[in-house]
Order: sequence, then structure tokens, then C-alpha cells
Amino acid sequence: MADTAPSRSRDLDKLLLRAGNLVGPTFEPGAELRDDLQEYARILVVGAGGLGCELLKDLALSGFKNLEVIDMDRIEVSNLNRQFLFRMEDVGKPKAEVAAKRVMERVSGVNIVPHFCRIEDKDISFYNDFNIIVLGLDSIEARSYINAVACSFLEYETDDKPREETIKPMVDGGTEGFKGHARVIIPGVTPCFECTIWLFPPQVKFPLCTLAETPRTAAHCIEYAHLIKWDEVHSGKSFDPDDPEHMQWVYSEAVKRAELFGIPGVTYSLTQGVVKNIIPAIASTNAIISAACALETLKIASGCSKTLSNYLTYNGVAGLHIKVTEFVKDKDCLVCGPGVLIELDTLVTLEKFINLLEEHPKLQLAKASVTYRGKNLYMQAPPVLEEMTRSNLSLPLYDLMDKVAKDILHVTGVTGQSDKKTSCLRKLRVVFRGVDGVTDMDMAGGA
Amino acid sequence: MAEPKTKYDRQLRIWGEQGQAALEKASVCLLNCGPTGSETLKNLVLGGIGSITVIDGSKVEVGDLGNNFMLDESCVGQSKAKSVCAFLQELNDAVKAKFIEEYPEALIEMNPPFFSQFTLVVATQLGEEKMIKLDRICREANVMLIFARSYGLTGFVRISVKEHTVVESKPDHFLDDLRLNNPWPELRKFAETFDLNVPDPVAHKHTPYVVILIKMSEEWTNSHGGSLPSTREEKREFKELLKSKMVAIDEDNYKEAIEASFKVFAPPGISSDLQQIINDSSAELSSTSSDFWVMVAALKEFIATEGGGEAPLEGSIPDMTSSTEHYVNLQKIYQAKAEADCLAIEQRVRNNLKKLGREPESISKATIKSFCRNARKLKVCRYRLLEDEFSNPSVPDIQKYLTDEDYSVAMGFYILLRAVDRFAANYNNYPGEFDGPMDEDISRLKTTAVSVLNDLGCNGSTLTEDLINEMCRFGAAELHAVAAFIGGVASQEVIKLITKQFVPMCGTFIFNGIDHKSQLLTL
Amino acid sequence: MIRLFKVKEKQKEDAENNTGGTPVKKQCAGELRLHKDITELNLPEACKISFPNGQDDLMNFEVSIKPDEGYYQNGTFVFSFEVPPIYPHDAPKVKCKTKVYHPNIDLEGNVCLNVLREDWKPVLNINTIIYGLYHLFTEPNHEDPLNHDAAELLRDSPACLETNVRMALQGGYIGDEYFEPVM
Repeated sequence: MADTAPSRSRDLDKLLLRAGNLVGPTFEPGAELRDDLQEYARILVVGAGGLGCELLKDLALSGFKNLEVIDMDRIEVSNLNRQFLFRMEDVGKPKAEVAAKRVMERVSGVNIVPHFCRIEDKDISFYNDFNIIVLGLDSIEARSYINAVACSFLEYETDDKPREETIKPMVDGGTEGFKGHARVIIPGVTPCFECTIWLFPPQVKFPLCTLAETPRTAAHCIEYAHLIKWDEVHSGKSFDPDDPEHMQWVYSEAVKRAELFGIPGVTYSLTQGVVKNIIPAIASTNAIISAACALETLKIASGCSKTLSNYLTYNGVAGLHIKVTEFVKDKDCLVCGPGVLIELDTLVTLEKFINLLEEHPKLQLAKASVTYRGKNLYMQAPPVLEEMTRSNLSLPLYDLMDKVAKDILHVTGVTGQSDKKTSCLRKLRVVFRGVDGVTDMDMAGGA
Repeated sequence: MAEPKTKYDRQLRIWGEQGQAALEKASVCLLNCGPTGSETLKNLVLGGIGSITVIDGSKVEVGDLGNNFMLDESCVGQSKAKSVCAFLQELNDAVKAKFIEEYPEALIEMNPPFFSQFTLVVATQLGEEKMIKLDRICREANVMLIFARSYGLTGFVRISVKEHTVVESKPDHFLDDLRLNNPWPELRKFAETFDLNVPDPVAHKHTPYVVILIKMSEEWTNSHGGSLPSTREEKREFKELLKSKMVAIDEDNYKEAIEASFKVFAPPGISSDLQQIINDSSAELSSTSSDFWVMVAALKEFIATEGGGEAPLEGSIPDMTSSTEHYVNLQKIYQAKAEADCLAIEQRVRNNLKKLGREPESISKATIKSFCRNARKLKVCRYRLLEDEFSNPSVPDIQKYLTDEDYSVAMGFYILLRAVDRFAANYNNYPGEFDGPMDEDISRLKTTAVSVLNDLGCNGSTLTEDLINEMCRFGAAELHAVAAFIGGVASQEVIKLITKQFVPMCGTFIFNGIDHKSQLLTL
Repeated sequence: MIRLFKVKEKQKEDAENNTGGTPVKKQCAGELRLHKDITELNLPEACKISFPNGQDDLMNFEVSIKPDEGYYQNGTFVFSFEVPPIYPHDAPKVKCKTKVYHPNIDLEGNVCLNVLREDWKPVLNINTIIYGLYHLFTEPNHEDPLNHDAAELLRDSPACLETNVRMALQGGYIGDEYFEPVM
């Protein structure tokens, strides 16, 4: 089997070429697997920061050769304590480009395509080109966006089972100081980001009147200068957290306020921390979480071991605690759930469709409002929107849906009997009969 | 120039200037610079460790390029230590990076005094026999030691230090030191200036919850024969009582009081953890006592005398709904008490130093202050010698781990990681190291594992076939992702040990890369 | 878990036959939840909602409030709502576009309303916020001040506050500040 000639994949081969018992169900050990990983597996790394740098290195040394990385940021001095692909002379350059270049310089045979742009700037189809998407992000918004994109490729069979080849797995990491998490999201199989968004604690926001009238802490003084005083003084000019002059102004205003109220503790560093919501970050935690993510990526792609099921929390503050929790899917999740399958003729008008929903045995949804890919086809309320959308009622739904054979709709309305009516928001997969290209498979994504 | 400050900003927010200064003074020695060792050092060099010395006698092979980012094609055939060291230096020019092309095993055998120059030694991918020897050397030289090993989808990290004492343990969640059910006179007097039935709604909703709870807890104890709410029913009643004092539904201070009511229920006095520390025999001072224990002795006296059973007051209060004036006054009362307590401790520390014949001012005021502020959170970690762990095992603990669903795989790996070394000593290679049929290695490893179990006093225990097969499949491979994980953990522990902040892990960390149910085994 | 490479070719085939093509616009989860909130609005007579960007942009809308009682009776006050994509995890950003002399609204349009900041929870909705805003006009309070002077007046001499408010509503100066008429 393996060649005797010196090989780069000396260590990895042990795992990829040998059979094992504690492996994934799809594992087919052999040189072909190793070669396929190199040749066919395409991995996108989202974010080229603390996690992203580590991920690119880890993946490049885990048998992957086709990597791409997307990040909109440029390198800053404060990145250098952990983003090890960057040097002082790189400050100001795009992270994605420098990171890709550095890894390619060191790991021969690896190809990394950088994308210096926002994740929203890419067509949805861009994301469909990858087998696995690995996330090294620090914002809920970005995670939520990528999750929605990945889930939009998911299609379900008529029996509500996910179609395997439409599943776009994600591996997500996050860190804060000595703490972090790593998770595997197999849309349609394990909970998606939206199913468990409650895992992310809401950001602490001070009441504005506390800032204005009863400040007690240094942070209150800083937020006063940032949120209230700035607008008062700079009418119209918006605050830019990356402009040192702006930051300096907020700092000195905060100091004045703190002095006025006898509050200790306002420093420039704290001002930056509060205003930019800086999350402390260190190299070791990023290394640990990224390594876990890269290992899971390798396992999903190759089946060479079991996969994390499905959420790992890490805490190194006192001793070292690793906990794996198996979260469950929200079966009614608007983003990853199958939704309710509805078959229609192309002539059915929107009004008829709304009536059908009320009679539908699974739905019994009255007073439905209908939205399709950001277009509000009909809104029952408020009156202003009802009026704007009323004219659609007499049009065929097929036409309103741009004559696509099958797609996702979302509806809100009320269900239940008169005594206990509840409002609900449902996902529907609509299939038009007799239109070319329609098989018995139905799309489910598109949230 | 403010550059280093900016560069380290994100970590200074965690361990502060003092922690950073400690890192910048430290010298770390790495044994073997495969991916596990290289990744450990990478994280330390980025953070600005003082100096590193990389020790490895091997030359770079092609296979090394597949798992070690510090090496590239141009390094093949060259000294691995030199190549790795050069790349690490590139990461941070503030770090002094050195290398020695030498096998660590040889240094351990031939030159034990060599290790005494370092603050800390990170020993990676070392066999059991050499680990035991190195452990003894470092223990005698008072050099901190961390073992790290990656092996297929498993590995371990183990600290070996005689004693590590922590003042700034910075726990995640810790009960505020508010003395709500036991206020000192000044605090009680301050609380008495408030009337909870004040008619002015603004005054009512700006009464700090600390005041509310002090007054209500007094009211409760007065009507309950001096005891605090203790049963679930009483606690509920106490909360109801608080609720009944609200005059409007949006009174945040009362909501906070209800949420914080558990702070009233906590019995006064020190925790059992702290009790254990002050009872430690090291608190009986001798000429060799460290500053930490000199302060602990003072703390012990304080608790027995001025403290009235309590540690010195921490002195800070959480944010709470209040007028600025009340809050600032409250802060001052807590600070004043903390300063007075600290002064009392300081006097005792100076006396103790004098009695020991040391310079009374040899412990700085700032050190004592920090000690007092953190007195309730002190930590003492002690580590057995590896040899002791191996030759004098705690059989009940091992048996408990072996049968516990959450721990059995980790315990299995612990045994197998030892078994592969024994295997290597017997057969001159690791199980599954070479390609070809593995049946023989599997059965040999199984036998070896049984002998390790027997030596641990666990006769009759076995490991699953699956795990033994898996260990052979690993064939001593050092996978990059696993090495990066293990190296990450090792570097984190190095930082905790050197900064003397946070609490280092107190057992053997076993990495489980199969389903990530990694565990810390205390053996 | 995933038969990555076996499905590879099939996936390519599918992509070629895909009838839908690339979606024009994707709806985020926040937008869907907002859609539900909007259809379920149950507003008092005094509150009107409008969508300046048309029927397909629900994420940015305006609410005008014309109180039918209290100091601010018959004034019209417009609030802008900016709903984040991760709504309802985060609260909408709300500003008062009409300059108003009010104890709980400052001259820049910042509003001190607990459900907009510290007390926001995902179970709350747009209706909760609009009701909260409406109540600020019918029952302004001096306990959560953003306009210090107005709050002090409300506490010490509500009659003076009323005079000032009426003056501002009709257009005029309160101290150095000019208020456009909003009646």
C-alpha cells in the first residue's frame, strides 16, 4: 500500500490508510482517500484572524490542498500577539491575502485563494463550491449569515429526510480569553446556528438614563461620552471607533465626567475596550479551538474517526474543562428545518393559495401573510401594507415566484380553534406540478 | 514607543502588565521540536516570552514537513532545532531564541545541571524512563516542568512542580465579598441612614441593593431568633418579603436585591478551601518559608483575631442600581475597611519577617495588598513526582475512572500511552509504527497494557479491543491538528505557571481526539 | 457522516440542472421573525406605522405617535426603527426623529426605554416597543431622565413642564433650544 519513499504525509497516512473500529460510517481507508482529500476536497475558511490563521495552517497540514479564505479586515498591530502569519511590516495589508501567501510559502503543494471582501459581497453560489465551510469569526451576525447561506443549499426528500448531497457541513469555532467553543453543524442532521442562537448571551447594554444621570462605573462614563455626548457635540458627524482622534475625544470626555462624579478607573485602554467591545484574545486558546475545528474538518471529510457530537465548550481559567454537549435540532427551525411540502398547480392564485393553507391538514393556517425571498407577496396587516400588497391576490403564485418550479416560502398566520388561537411562522416548500425540472426532490433551504 | 503595549493589548487585558513582565523575564527550554513542541513555543513567542532554548538532535526529514509548520523544504537535512528556532525568532524579535543541536535524552543522562538555568522546561515526546529522570532533575533544581505528548488522536499534558501558589487566581464566578449578613459598624451605620419606606419614589428606587439586603437580613434575623433564612421555604419567604417592599414594578434595585438574595444566605466565615490552606503545615513558618506562606501565616492570625473569623475584606463592590452619590459612598466604605484590614495583615507580615530574621520590608506593600484583595481565592497546587504517581498509584481512583462512562476512554488512553513506551522499550519500535499487518503488535500491546494495569494494582481490569486497535493504528503518528491542540494546552499552562495567575491544571490532561471527551485525571 | 466524494459528481449534475438559479435576495432569520411581528401589530389608534422604502423593506420603518391625552396631546412624533439582521437576539435601534422637549428623550433623539436596551429579550416584539414609546408620551417619568431640565420640572413643578411642552409643540424656544411646531 503506502510507498516506502519519504512522504510528507508520513504521519497522516497512519490515520487515512489504516482501517479502524472507532471511525465514521463513510470511512474507506486507502491511498485513494488521501489523494481525493488533496484533489477534491474544497474548504472555505471564513475569517483570517486569530482562529483563521491557525485554521489555514492546521488544514494545510491535515491533508487539504484546496483552501480559500475570506476576510474583509486589514492587519492591525494588536493582532500580532496571536495571528502568527502576520508581521509588523504587514500592518495595513489585507489579512486574507497575507495569510494565504504565508501558508503557501511554507507548505508546498497547498493552494489558498484569498478573498479580501465582506462575506455578503459574494454570490450565494460562491459558497456552494465548497465541501465544508470552517468559521473563525467573532460576530453573531456573520455566523448567522453563513449559516443561512449554508442551509439554503439544503434540500429535503418528500419524506422530510435531508438529501445527503445537498448538506453543507460547517465547523465553527469561537474564543474569548481562556474560553472557547468548537462545534460541528451538519444542516438537516445536527442543530444549525439558528436552532441554538440562545447559546450566545446578549450583549450588556447600560440604560441610557443611567449614563445620563446616575453613572457609577468607569464604563458608564465612557458610554456616556460615546453614546450621548458625541452626538450632542458633533451634530451629524458619526463616531468612528477606528479613528484615534475620535477615541481620544471620547476618552477625555469620559475622564471629565468621571472626575465630576468622583468615579475612578477611566483609562484609554478601558475606553477602547468598552467602545469597541474588545474581546481579550490569546494565542493558546485560538490554537486549541482551531486545532479542534481542523481535526473535525478532517474527520467530516474523510470519516477517519468519529465526529464531535456536536458542541464542545472549553474553559482553561481554572484547570482545564472540556465538555461535549449534544444539542438537538429545532424541528421547526425556519433556517434548517424541512418546512411543509405543498404541491400546487401553476394557475393557483395567491388568494386561492392562502385559502388552501387554511384547509391544509398539517397547517390549518388562517389569515396567512406570505413572503418570498424578501418580497412580501401579501400582508394581512398592518393596513398600509395590506393595501400595498392586495393587488397580488389575484395573480398566480407561480408568476409571483418568478416561475421557478420549486422554492421556499414563508407564511405567518394563526392556527388552532377559536378558543386558543396561536400565531405562527412557517416555512413551506412549494412545488408546482407539471413544470420541467421537477422531480420528487424538493428544495428546503432559502431561509 | 507604545508599540509593545498595542501589540500585546489583547493579552494585557487578561494578565495585565505584571503578568506580561513575568513572561518577559522567563526563560523556557523546549525538549524536542516536533510539531507538539514547536506549537507550544510558537504560542509563547507570540506572547513575548523572555527567551527560548530549543533542544533537538535530529535532522529534518521530508515526513516532518507534513506536520510541522516551522519547517519547509529548505530545511530538509538540516538541524531541526536550528530550523525551528529560526522560524520562531521571525515571529517576535523581542524574544531571545537559541537552539542546541543535541538529543534531550543525552542531556538528561549526561548533563543534569544544564536544566537549572531555566524558569521552566517543556518536555515533549519523551519516553517514560527519560521523563522520570528529568522530573527528578527539575524537581531538585526547582525548575518548573511540563510534559506534553501527542500520539495519534490522543496525547497528554502533565505539570510537575513541587508547589505552585497562586494569589491572583481570577476565578470566573466568585461570591462578592459584601458581608450583608455580618456588616461591620461603619457599613451598618451607613445602612441605617436609609429608610426603606421613604415616600419619595426616586429615593426608593435608588437605594442600593446592598443597603436593602443588609436591612432586610437584619429584620429577618431579629424575627427568627438570630438565624438567617436556611430552608428553601425560608429563602422563598425572604424573597417574598423583598418583593413586598417594592412600590413600583420597575424598581431595578429591588429586582437586583431579589436576584442577589443568595448572597445573604451564605454563612459567614471562610471557605473550606481557605481553611485547608491556613491549616497547611507550611503556614507554620520556618527560615525557608516563601513569601506566600509568610503572608498566609499573617492571614491565619488575622482570621483568628481582628478578622473575627473572616478574611480581609476584598473592598470592591459590583455595579448596582443606585444614585451616583450613594454608590460612591458605599464604595468608599468598602475600600476603607479593606485598607484597614490590609494594614493589619501588613503589620503581621512585617512582624513575622522580623521573627524569621528577614528584612521586614522585603515583601512589598503592593504584594501584600494584592494578597489581601485575593485572600479568599488563594490556591495551592502540588504535583507528585511522576515516579511516585507510577509506583504508588491510587488504585481506587484508577478503578473509578476505568468504570466511569465519562472517564473510561481517557483512563484507557492514560494506560495505553504508558503501555506504548513499555512496548517500545521491549521491541524497539512503537506498536504500528511500521506499515504491514498489525495483528502481532495488537496482541503485544494488549499484553503490555494488561501488565501496566497489573502494576497499577488493577488486576483483572481490561481495556476495550477497539481502543487497543486504535492505539496501534495511530502508530506513534504526530498529527498536526492534535499537536497544535496539545501544544496549545501546554503553552496555556506555561503562561499560568509563569504569570502566577489563574489556576493550572492539577492532574494529567488526556486528550481524546475521537469524540473530544478529553479529561483531567487526578492520580 | 458525509460521503463527500461519492456525491461530488452528482452535485455537479444537479448544479447544471438547477432550475432556480441564484436567488436574487436572501431573507435572514431576523427578517422572517420581523415579518411575523409586523403582521401581528396591534397598535393604539394614536400610532401609525409606515415603510418609507416600500413593502419589501420591513427592516427600516417609521412609527408616528400622536398622543390622544396628556401633555403631548395632538403633537406628532416620528420614530425611526432599524431592525438588525439577528433580530430578535438584538433589539431594534430606535431614534426619535422629531425634536421634542421630553424628560425621557434627549435633543438628539435618544430614548430612555428599558426594552430598547437593558431589558430587551427575544420574546418581546415590535408591538412591545411601540407601546413603550406611546406610554412615554402619556406618562413621562422623571425617574429615568435623559433631558435633565425637563425631568426636574416634571418632578418639581409639573405645571411648568406642561407650559413648556405646549410651547414647544406649537413651535418656539425653551431656553436656547428651538423646537419646530409638531401640532
